[in-house]
Amino acid sequence: MTTHISPQMASSGTQHGKFEPYVNNGGTTLAIPGKDFVIAAGDTRLSTGYSIHTRQSSKVFQLTDKCVIVTAGMQSDASTLHKTMHARLVHYEHAHGKQMSTEAIGQMLSNMLYGRRFFPYYTFNLVAGIDSKGQGVVYGYDAIGSYQSVEVGAMGTGQSLIQPLLDNQVAYKNHQLVPSKELDLERALSLVKDSFTSAGERDIYTGDSVEIAIITQEGIKYETLQLKQD
Amino acid sequence: MSILEYNGGAVVAMLGKNCVAVASDLRYGIKNTTVGCQMRKAYPIHQKCLLGMAGLATDVQTFLEKMKFRVNMYKLREDRDIKPSSFGNMVSSALYENRFGPMFLEPVIAGLEGDDNTPFISSTDLIGAQCFTDNFVVVGTASEALYGMCESLWKPEMEPEDLFEVISQCLMASVDRDCNSGWGGIVYILTPDKLITKELKGRQD
Amino acid sequence: MSLSFLDKSYNAFHDDQSFEEANSNTLTLYKEPGLVVPPTFNNAGFRDQSHEIAKKFAKGTTTLGFVFNKGIVIAVDSRASMGNYISSQNVKKVIEINPYLLGTMAGGAADCQFWERYLGMQCRLYELRNKRRITVSAASKLLVNIMYSYKGYGLSMGTMVAGWDHTGPNLFMVDNDGTRLKGNRFSVGSGSMFAYGVLDSGYRPDLTEEQACELGRRAIYHATHRDSMSGGIINVYLIREDGWHKISSTDMDHLHWNYVEDKKKEIADRNKL
Repeated sequence: MTTHISPQMASSGTQHGKFEPYVNNGGTTLAIPGKDFVIAAGDTRLSTGYSIHTRQSSKVFQLTDKCVIVTAGMQSDASTLHKTMHARLVHYEHAHGKQMSTEAIGQMLSNMLYGRRFFPYYTFNLVAGIDSKGQGVVYGYDAIGSYQSVEVGAMGTGQSLIQPLLDNQVAYKNHQLVPSKELDLERALSLVKDSFTSAGERDIYTGDSVEIAIITQEGIKYETLQLKQD
Repeated sequence: MSILEYNGGAVVAMLGKNCVAVASDLRYGIKNTTVGCQMRKAYPIHQKCLLGMAGLATDVQTFLEKMKFRVNMYKLREDRDIKPSSFGNMVSSALYENRFGPMFLEPVIAGLEGDDNTPFISSTDLIGAQCFTDNFVVVGTASEALYGMCESLWKPEMEPEDLFEVISQCLMASVDRDCNSGWGGIVYILTPDKLITKELKGRQD
Repeated sequence: MSLSFLDKSYNAFHDDQSFEEANSNTLTLYKEPGLVVPPTFNNAGFRDQSHEIAKKFAKGTTTLGFVFNKGIVIAVDSRASMGNYISSQNVKKVIEINPYLLGTMAGGAADCQFWERYLGMQCRLYELRNKRRITVSAASKLLVNIMYSYKGYGLSMGTMVAGWDHTGPNLFMVDNDGTRLKGNRFSVGSGSMFAYGVLDSGYRPDLTEEQACELGRRAIYHATHRDSMSGGIINVYLIREDGWHKISSTDMDHLHWNYVEDKKKEIADRNKL
C-alpha cells in the first residue's frame, strides 16, 4: 500500500510551488461559564505576521438561541468551519423541528474536526452555551477534535497570558481563603474585560476591540469593548 | 529546544512604594525531568541589591561567581556598595563581553538606590541589552504567563505586604501553567531597613 | 457515524481514486468515519506546517495498569500540555468504553478520544449482533486493526484496553504502530519510566484491593512529581468481575504533602524506638 502523503514530486525532478496551506491570523478568545449564564468573547483584530488586515473581524459566531462558538487560529478555516456548522444546524432543525442542544453541538464539532484529522482545520475553538439543565457550559477543543468541558477557557495568541489569571480569579487556584460566593455575571464580565485589556498590552495580535456575547436562558446579548489600536 | 529552556525556571521582579521584590521558582530540571526542587534563582548582591537569573543553570552559576568577584573588586576600590543601576551596567557589559558566544541566561536586577532609597529594577537579554521599567520585569520559561499576570495584578505604590501578595500570586499562577518551572517558590522583599525572605509552598508537579 | 456531509463538500479537492486505492485492502468497517486525506501534489510544505500544528495537539501523560489476583488497577494523571504550556490540569484520561471495559489515553488526545468512542460503538454493535459481551481480546483487536490500517498516517496513540470477560481479567496495550500486547503490567506515556520503577518494586500478585489501588496511585504520583509533562489529578479505577469502579480522584499536590507528613511521622517513630 502506498501512502499518497509522501512528497513524490521531490524525486521526479519537476519544480512545484510549496503547498503551505496554514497561516496564523492571531487573536484571543475567552469563555467563562456560570450557574445560569455563560460569557464568550473574542477580539476583532486580524493579522498575519506584523501586518494588521482589519480591526473588525468577528471571532464570535452564533449557532443557536443559546449557543455560540468562538474561534481563534486561521480565519479562513474558522469561517469555513462556522459555515459548515451552520448548515448542519439548519439541517438538524428542519429534520427534527427543534434546535440542537449545546451538548450535541459539542460532540458534533469534535467529530467535524476529527473528520479532518489528516488535513486539520487550523482552529482553536470554544463552544459556549446553556445546557439542557439550564446551566452555563463551555467546551474547549484542540485543532483535531479532542474536547472537554472546562471551568474557564482561553484560546489563541493571548491564551498563555490570560489563562493563569483566570485560574487565579475564577478557579481560585493558590488562594488560602476561597470565597464561598458563586461567580456572578457582573464579576465574570469585568474579568473578561480586564483580561482582554491586559492581553492587549502585551500581545501584538490582540487589540482593537472585543466582542462579548452574554448568554442566558432569555437569549444572547452582545457588548463591545474598545481596546488599544496600537 | 532552546538552550534557555534546558533547565527551566522563572524569575520576576516588581517595584513597590519604597521597596522592590524579586521572586523565583525552585525547580532544577534537565529537559522534562525534575532533578531538584531547592534551587533559588535570585541572590542578594549586597544589603540593597538583588540579582535574579533564569536560563542555563551552569551559566547562571558561573556568571554569579563572576559578578560576586567584580562587585567585591568594586567595593575594595570604591569603599562603598555598588548602586543597583551601576550594577545593571556591570551585568550588561559582562554579558556583552561574550557577544559572539553568549552565556545562556537572562538576568533581572532589583534594588534600592541612593540616600532616599529610590526603587530600581531592570532586566537584560542574554547579550546585555538593558530594559528599564517602572513596574515589573519577567524572565524565564513562564515569562508569557508572568506578563499576563503582572499586567493584571500590579498597581503603583504598593506597600511591602501588598507587594509580597501580588508577586507571590503572579509567580504561583504563572508557573502552574508552565511545565518546566514551579515546585515551590521564593520571594525576596527589599525595604530600606531589611531584606525579607519568604518561601512559598507550591504545586509539586 | 455520518460524516458524509463533510466528504461531499470536500471531494472536489482530494484525489478520490487514490483514497479508495489506499483503503482497498481495509475492511469497510474502518472506512466508515471517512477521514479526509490531503491531496497528492507536493505536500512537503503541508507536512512541515502540519508538524508545527501537531505540536499544538494535547500531549504528555503517565498512565498505568496492572493485573493482580483480585482484578485490574488502572491509574492515570490528568495533565495535557502543548509544548511547555500546560493546556489542562483535569483531563479525563480513562475512557469508559462500557461498564466492563476501560481504555486509557496517552499520546494524541483527539486520536484516543475519537477511536475509543468509536470502539465503544463497535463493542455495542457486537453485543447486539451476537447477544453476548465482547471479550477484551476481541475489543483490543478491533482497535489495533484500525491502528494498523492507518499506519504511517501519523496517528499518535498509546493505550491500554482493560476489562473483565468470561476468561477473567485481561489487560492489553495497543499503540499506533499496530502493536498489541497482552500483559500483567504496563505503563505508557512520557512519565512511564518513573511509574515502572515504583510499580515493579511494589508489585505482587497477592496484593489486597486497597494495597493495589495505593500502589497504582503512588506510582503515578512519583511520575507526576518527576516528569514535568505529567501532573494534576490522579484517577484510580479498579476492575472486578462485576465491571469497573472509580476508586479515587486525588489532587497530586494533596497526596504529596500527605506523603511528606507520613514520612516525617515514620522517622519520628523510628527515633523513639
